[in-house]
Amino acid sequence: MLKLLIVDDEVDIREFAGNFFRKRQIDVFTASGGNEALRLIDQENPNLVLLDVRMEEMNGIDVLKTLRNRNNPVKVIMVTGVENTETIREANSLGVAGYIHKPLVLEELEKVVLKELQ
Amino acid sequence: MNIFSIPPFIISLFQIALGVIVYTRNQKNILNRLFALLCFVSSMWLLFYSFGYGRGNSEQNADLFFRIGYTGVIFIAVIAFHYTLKFLRVQNIQLLIISAYFLGMIWVSLLWASHLLIDKVRLYSWGYYPQAGILHPLFLVFFIGIASTISTMLFYFFWKKRDQLSTRQISQIKYLFLALFVYNFASVDFLPNYGLEIYPLGYLPAFIFLIVIGYTIIRYRLMDISLAITRTSIFIATYSLILGIPFALAFGYQERLISALGKNWWMVPLISSTVLATAGPFIYLFIQKRAEDRLLQEQRRYQMTLRQASSGMSKIKDLKKLLRMIVHIVTRTVHLEHSQVYLYDSTDKKFFLEATRNKGATKPSAVISIDSPLIRYLFGMREPIVYEEIKQRTQDYSDAELSQVEENLRQLDAAVVIPSFVENKLLAIIVLGKKLSGKLYSEDDLAVFSILANQAALAIENAQFYEDIKRTQEQLFQAEKMATIGTMADGLSHQINNRLHALGFIAGDALDTIRLKKEIKTPEEAQSILADLERSLTRIQDNVKQGGEVVQGLLKYTRKGEAGFSPVDFSQLLTASIEMAGYKVKLDQISIVKDFSEDIPKILGNFTQLQEVFFNLIDNAYDAMMQRKVEQKEPDYKGKINISARRLEGKIEIGVLDNGIGVKDEDSRKLFTPFFTTKLSSKKGTGLGLYVIQKIIEDNHGGKVSMSSEYMTGTLVTILLPTVN
Repeated sequence: MLKLLIVDDEVDIREFAGNFFRKRQIDVFTASGGNEALRLIDQENPNLVLLDVRMEEMNGIDVLKTLRNRNNPVKVIMVTGVENTETIREANSLGVAGYIHKPLVLEELEKVVLKELQ
Repeated sequence: MNIFSIPPFIISLFQIALGVIVYTRNQKNILNRLFALLCFVSSMWLLFYSFGYGRGNSEQNADLFFRIGYTGVIFIAVIAFHYTLKFLRVQNIQLLIISAYFLGMIWVSLLWASHLLIDKVRLYSWGYYPQAGILHPLFLVFFIGIASTISTMLFYFFWKKRDQLSTRQISQIKYLFLALFVYNFASVDFLPNYGLEIYPLGYLPAFIFLIVIGYTIIRYRLMDISLAITRTSIFIATYSLILGIPFALAFGYQERLISALGKNWWMVPLISSTVLATAGPFIYLFIQKRAEDRLLQEQRRYQMTLRQASSGMSKIKDLKKLLRMIVHIVTRTVHLEHSQVYLYDSTDKKFFLEATRNKGATKPSAVISIDSPLIRYLFGMREPIVYEEIKQRTQDYSDAELSQVEENLRQLDAAVVIPSFVENKLLAIIVLGKKLSGKLYSEDDLAVFSILANQAALAIENAQFYEDIKRTQEQLFQAEKMATIGTMADGLSHQINNRLHALGFIAGDALDTIRLKKEIKTPEEAQSILADLERSLTRIQDNVKQGGEVVQGLLKYTRKGEAGFSPVDFSQLLTASIEMAGYKVKLDQISIVKDFSEDIPKILGNFTQLQEVFFNLIDNAYDAMMQRKVEQKEPDYKGKINISARRLEGKIEIGVLDNGIGVKDEDSRKLFTPFFTTKLSSKKGTGLGLYVIQKIIEDNHGGKVSMSSEYMTGTLVTILLPTVN
């Protein structure tokens, strides 16, 4: 089964996005912060990580940096709200599979995710 | 003519000149005309007497001269009588006047047609002089009778009819009494009429008499008479001494000096006159100052008070308080009936009554237009104007504009109006009513008032600037709030965005569930789907509610707060501030500890402004703690804000302590300056926070704010605020 990790500090995002993808026979794990996310990545080795950029404890870019420093090539899609070009450039240099801009309807998200999980 | 004729001759010329001066001043005024006439008959007397003195004359010529001169003497009495009646504005005097002139004519006919009044001339050491005839004593009675009548009338009006007279007229009466008193000494001239060999010096008191009366007619602003007498007496006394001593030494002690010093005896008078002449002015000034200080004690006292008030005025920032203070001081110290201050309003272009103090019943007018004659006149004069003077000038010159000014002054019931100018702007006018004592305003008074008015102008300008600044400050606070909202835009839009994102996912998942289920076979399936839907819709509602709160909070924040103070409960204030901060940053990352009891006093202040203060403090603390967390990466670090409040000497002392990154020593001085920030990005701060906090706490609330910080340890901000008593 394909594994998907959803990293977001909003509980509703984790729950309902989780519901959605589980209905499509995808194994969904969720993390509410950067540290938990890194732990789950090591543990579960997901196929794709949906990574929220704006998180209080540790932001998405730092998570990405840590992963790449550990030479972990896991596929990451950044989920951003209003971000500046600086952040995007940094993410690009660290290697991301794509971006999703909030707010986003699930149908759109489904398309992007399924494409990357191919 | 001989040497004894010279003084009366010269003085007669001066008298003619005086008459001409007063006449040309105002030909229409009856008083000016009568006085000129008086001068002319008086000079007629002296002129022809001076001709008559000459030993070279034949007795016939001398007799003629003296008779002409004596005609003048007769009319001096009559015209002085006429003058007094007109001066006092006595009614129905036609008969009286005609009788007086009639009597005068009788004496004139007796003078020329007979020897009953003046018999003949006699030769004295100085020259000829007329001798009294049989009826001369009767003439003396007539003369003295008129003089006493004049005195009595003046006295009666002064005593009984005081309120019908203006302050200036009262002062004039005093001078007239003085003049009469001096004139009495001129009666020495009657002595040689009876054979006594005394040189008739009467021309001197006669001349002084005319000068004094002339002064009261010409001069609008009369010196207080006691002051005039004092100054003159001191002057005469001092200079008689200065000139008299050397003179006496030279003439009286001549022999003794010659026997003592021989040829150089004249050095004693010379040296003494030099010494005295040098010391003279100093002696004079010294005595004058002492005398006047005593005389003008009362006046000096309030002048000093006014001077002190002048210098204290610029410290008052509240405009209304300043204006009230001015009228209060002026009315109280100078003892006036009333005083008002009118302030110029540039939008309405009118002077509005701003402060008044009234011991009487007059209700002052509320508005003076800038076009009014009074104001235009003030712009021309740029100095205090006195009602009595304007009134007199109007009578003398019948100037239409001046009479309008007089009308304005009367409507204001103003005795004096003082303008307050700053450069070319007339900021205010101070109106003074009459003095309760009825005394005139002296030159000294007006000088002090001028100083007061000038200082007032500066103080008023100051207070107006201050008001402007306060208004600008209000705008600054509002602008700072708007700018802060800019920094909150990120946080706010992030939160709203998240709500939308969440709403989208919740609805999306529910839709998805419905679409995936093609058919529902069992009731359990239906139940399960309904349960899912219920959960989704509930979560949607919650997110909407959350979003709504964020919007509400923002709106509340942007609304301009109410001005004014009221009791503020600190606990409520803190809750509101924390809520506000929560829209900008995620507060669950840090802990906020409240350290105060229920019974701390309520703050006397403005809720909106204080909320701004504590919001800024919490925001600053949060950023400091986040910065420390990011930079230091201490493993167990947890941001904590400790907010304490306690009673302290009738005030409330509030402390906001955080364990954030703190402030470096070199930055601590600049903290409260506007636009300075140590925050990492301009998104986080405008740099105005501490500046605004200081302005709100110290300028607006009269409290104190202080900050102590240690780099890497934390920061403590202490605020002292007044409480509701």
